Amino acid sequence: MREPKLNGMFFLLALLLVWELAARAEWVNPLIVPAVSKIVGTFSELLWSGQIPLQILASLKRAAVGYALAAAIFIPLGIFMGLFDNIRRALEVTVEMLRPIPPPVVIPAAMLFFGLEDEMKIFVIFFSCAWPILLNTLDGVKNIDRVLLHTASTFGLPQRKIIWQVILPASSPQIMTGLRVSLPIVLILVVISEMVGSTDGIGYFILDAQRRFRVAQMYAGMLALAILGYVLNQLFNLAHRSLLPWHWGMTKRME
Amino acid sequence: MNGPSKFNWTGWLVFGLFLLLWECGSRASPKLQLYIPPVSQIVVALSHLIVSGQVTTHLLTTMRRFLEGYLLAAAIAVTVGVALGYFRFAHSLTEMLIEFLRPMPSVAIIPVAILLLGIGDGMIVAVTVYASTWPILINTIDGVRHIERTLIDTGRTFGLARRRILWQIVLPAASPYIVTGLRVSLSIALILVTTAEMIAGNKGLGFFILDEERSLQSSNMYAGIILVAALGYVLNRLFVVLQEKAMKWRRGMVAREGL
Repeated sequence: MREPKLNGMFFLLALLLVWELAARAEWVNPLIVPAVSKIVGTFSELLWSGQIPLQILASLKRAAVGYALAAAIFIPLGIFMGLFDNIRRALEVTVEMLRPIPPPVVIPAAMLFFGLEDEMKIFVIFFSCAWPILLNTLDGVKNIDRVLLHTASTFGLPQRKIIWQVILPASSPQIMTGLRVSLPIVLILVVISEMVGSTDGIGYFILDAQRRFRVAQMYAGMLALAILGYVLNQLFNLAHRSLLPWHWGMTKRME
Repeated sequence: MNGPSKFNWTGWLVFGLFLLLWECGSRASPKLQLYIPPVSQIVVALSHLIVSGQVTTHLLTTMRRFLEGYLLAAAIAVTVGVALGYFRFAHSLTEMLIEFLRPMPSVAIIPVAILLLGIGDGMIVAVTVYASTWPILINTIDGVRHIERTLIDTGRTFGLARRRILWQIVLPAASPYIVTGLRVSLSIALILVTTAEMIAGNKGLGFFILDEERSLQSSNMYAGIILVAALGYVLNRLFVVLQEKAMKWRRGMVAREGL
């Protein structure tokens, strides 16, 4: 396993070297594609001056609130829809009607309502990750072995205990899947909503840098975003591992 | 669990109630009406836009960009994915690069594309290709790598030419994965087209919706949103129909989608 990793590293370094040379020798217009060293320099400058951390913090705040809100509402809703067939059937059509709306086109509607404030982005994020969270939770609950539920009620467990001790643990892998699928969607929608209507945040920063023709800053912002995406994914894995250690082990072995 | 052909009365009733509540709530408050016009007004606006042909060019533009970007991405990603899945060495070279580029939200590429390609069709199609390539590429690589080696070895033993191994063994065996990737990319492509149109466009449904918002024509804006949703819905259905036709042989193994 070690050798392929090295191969990949060398290839990546070679690519970056070619990029650097191409920009320095002006085979490509360095105004549009600046040298890697310059991008990295700008990146560290922006990092230490606090500008990039500030923008990322603004984005993260919106992302976290929208994501948490969606989880807090749609996980319970998914559980209820999974448990009670008539609730599911009652909401099915409405969900199916709203689901095909691509989340970015909700931005203008949200802008009408909330202006360019944080609430606008939070709403858009909330809307965009609602469906993966809801549908995965619903599927998870619906696919619970009925014997588990019957056993629990035979032993006289009250409804509340059944939910906390049987249903939630049994459907948690699927709920986790929903949350995982939503993570990149959240990031995409933060960036889009900041590009379309905002005065701060990393998405705004990147687009603004492009419009002012500060090209190195634009690439630096993208680098920051890539790192952010990577870190968030790692954090999610960490949470997954500590919350559902048994499931984490299972998925690892399957890979 | 749910009967496939049984009409969901309660579901439609609840949806009808939702619309009714919207209609009444909006009519009751003139202030709210500015942001959320009554449903009836939106429907009128929508039919007006369709009949007058005002929205036709936008719809066609968006569809064309979507198809160009999506199909191009599919062609590129499947080809590259099969190659990377099949040749271990090529995969080991590019693995890091892919892992490095993938976590970046694909919309961040839009400013770069504007810089390189200017504002126009080429830029929008390019970002769509970029974004929808990833899911197909990753799934295709996975699919090809998961093929049982014996299948390919058997083909070889029987003296099948490389080309025939590719078409008759590798592609069919990896096709479930490829289809999954294609499906994920379908919605991503639509997201990217509409986003790019909002950020830098003068045509297309994304542009239309944002433009109507800016001129405070909220009924038209909602009508545009309905059109995009309908487009997404139709494309999805079309995909499912084609998929069932193409993948008849493994129907029932495919996971059920949605509710």
